Amino acid sequence: MVFVENTDEVHNMVVCTLCSCYPWPLLGIPPGWYKSDAYRARAVREPRAVLAEFGVMLPEGKKVRVWDSTAEVRYLVVPQRPVGTEGLSEDELAALVTRDSMIGTALAQEPLTEEPGA
Amino acid sequence: MSRIHDMGGRLGTGPVDPKDGYDFGEAKDWHKRALALNVACGFLGQWNIDASRHARELLDPQDYTAFSYYEKWMGGLADLMVDRGVVTVEELASGQAAGVSPVSFRAAKPDTVEAVLMNGSPYTRDAAAPVFAVGAKVKTRRPARNVAVPGGHTRLPAYAAGAVGEIVLQHGAHVFPDSNAHFQGEAAEPLYAVRFTAQELWGAEADPRDEVVLDLWESYLEPVA
Repeated sequence: MVFVENTDEVHNMVVCTLCSCYPWPLLGIPPGWYKSDAYRARAVREPRAVLAEFGVMLPEGKKVRVWDSTAEVRYLVVPQRPVGTEGLSEDELAALVTRDSMIGTALAQEPLTEEPGA
Repeated sequence: MSRIHDMGGRLGTGPVDPKDGYDFGEAKDWHKRALALNVACGFLGQWNIDASRHARELLDPQDYTAFSYYEKWMGGLADLMVDRGVVTVEELASGQAAGVSPVSFRAAKPDTVEAVLMNGSPYTRDAAAPVFAVGAKVKTRRPARNVAVPGGHTRLPAYAAGAVGEIVLQHGAHVFPDSNAHFQGEAAEPLYAVRFTAQELWGAEADPRDEVVLDLWESYLEPVA
């Protein structure tokens, strides 16, 4: 298992263009879209367009690095820590990490912020 | 095989649907059984993961396109079971066993399934040391093909054939699918993560910042001076 970390400079995402390789023991069975022809075909060729379909718009200047799982090595994306999470506990941080953020088609969720004046 | 499965870079597939989640809704309960049947039959030890991938790749391209995911799995499984002598075509057609299978003693047992699945199967082997260092420039084989078995299984996608990239990780020696899928031995060889610029793979239309990394076996690669 190789963990690839998202940073200010690079956004990682994972695909299997030849079949549907996926880190089963950690993430379970892959979702339908991961196995779809569209994702398998396009993630390597136009990852930014695919990300946009997931609602992910990357900051200008960030590199996209796509990992095509062509062997038995499995890749897991470590999402970038959202701003404003400095005081959060490990459990609170873990709750921001979704399945899709570990495939790289989502970012970590933003922490819930208290309403002003609440 | 048709290489219909080798989809990386194919155009015209339409958008990805992020709401297309898990297949295990009530209406698709058979998907659970299809997955379980595939996993359970793997316990019989009559093939390996590379052979099972190759069996799905051998489906008629019109079937591959028309079949749903688990239909492909069942199609590949049926072919494998007949090819490997686990069942006969007649048994498959009738749904009735002609007798006790000689491999029935290998059947998955409820108390061992979870442990086996969680442990997985290691594919790393002790074999020759890697020829290429991290940072080395390499060029991939072209065309993407199985050199020993015409039309056989390979894990070099067509879109990355003949491309120049850079070694970024050494993964140690891994079972070689081009051999293992055809029951010609594990033939383990060094495996690498190789980074290609998007423009090397797709031309000037690709974003100059972007990269694609593939895991590639040593014999797919040649040195670039």
